[in-house]
Amino acid sequence: MRGDFKLIPEKKLAAFYSILFVLLAVAPAAYAMHIEDGILEPKWWIAWYIAAALFIYPGLREVKRRVQENLSYKPFLAMVGVAVFVISAMHLPVPVTGSCSHPCGTPLAAIVVGPFATVVISVIALFFQAIFFAHGGITTIGANTFSMGICGAFIGYFSWKLLRSLRSPLWLAAGAAGFLGDLVTYLAAAFQLALNVPGGHLSFFQQWMVFFLGYGPTQLPLAILEAIFTAAVLQVMVKRRPDLIPGFSQSGKTVSQISKNI
Amino acid sequence: MSVEKVQWFDSFTRTVLIVGLALLLGIFGSAYYMNIHKMAAGGTDDKVNDLAAQSVHVQHHPLVELPGDAAISAFSVANFCAGLIIGHNWRKLFDPGKIEETKG
Repeated sequence: MRGDFKLIPEKKLAAFYSILFVLLAVAPAAYAMHIEDGILEPKWWIAWYIAAALFIYPGLREVKRRVQENLSYKPFLAMVGVAVFVISAMHLPVPVTGSCSHPCGTPLAAIVVGPFATVVISVIALFFQAIFFAHGGITTIGANTFSMGICGAFIGYFSWKLLRSLRSPLWLAAGAAGFLGDLVTYLAAAFQLALNVPGGHLSFFQQWMVFFLGYGPTQLPLAILEAIFTAAVLQVMVKRRPDLIPGFSQSGKTVSQISKNI
Repeated sequence: MSVEKVQWFDSFTRTVLIVGLALLLGIFGSAYYMNIHKMAAGGTDDKVNDLAAQSVHVQHHPLVELPGDAAISAFSVANFCAGLIIGHNWRKLFDPGKIEETKG
């Protein structure tokens, strides 16, 4: 009999648990992340700002173009932007090394909203992390954008495109993008720190590898996690809204037909 | 007389709960392991920042200090809003019911 039982509103429950999950997953972080203020010399942080700006301008143009092409792009971009903000602030403990680090989220963002648009959302995410969370710095936004928003995003995007052009399954291409994008982000951050160190008893390459070995052992398990996450999320997105993902908007095919091919 | 079943979790809530619990168990398991092995569990970025700062004899510093529970409250507020935005847009764009509505 309808009326004897009051149904739990599913949407409210779903929203409540989503929020609870995000809060629980992220709240314990308390350590500084990304490259902080005070480390890079002015000549380097200015250079990284200029390098990042070269990608931000086409990024803004890409956003403007795709917003006009697809009405769903704007809320999609907002969702992905906030996801990058949350994922790149998620400090996860890695027991094998006894330390914590974070995934990036930019390889997934590059695949779904485009690599140049990912640079724009990375700058915004890093800015808010710097001013509200003490993560990263203001002078180092250019450098952090270059490593996470440009290197991580573009390597992830190109590996995705390459593997898809070789007809590899979606999970493999997306997983490889997540894995490589994550590791290359830290390879780039180590490169930036090595450039900043004046020549001493170590060569530039050795210095680079010293910094990368600081990140690498903790980052490797997280890169695997990022690969799984990227593949899983992309699989769901392509199954439900192939029209939103570049390369999947195949006219004349139903969603189920596209799902069978991925 | 038909008896309507109370549905506690829809598939979206179930999936989010399973993923959330798996991640949280992973975090708690890792934290437990690090605690019993007396590992510092500090941030890798922080360690490398320290190393880089020592190499060039400077001090690194955050723009703002968030001592004690201030960090937790900053994360809570930011991620409360982030959760709302992601959840709202996810349902708008990817919820099967909404997709059908858009098509219909």
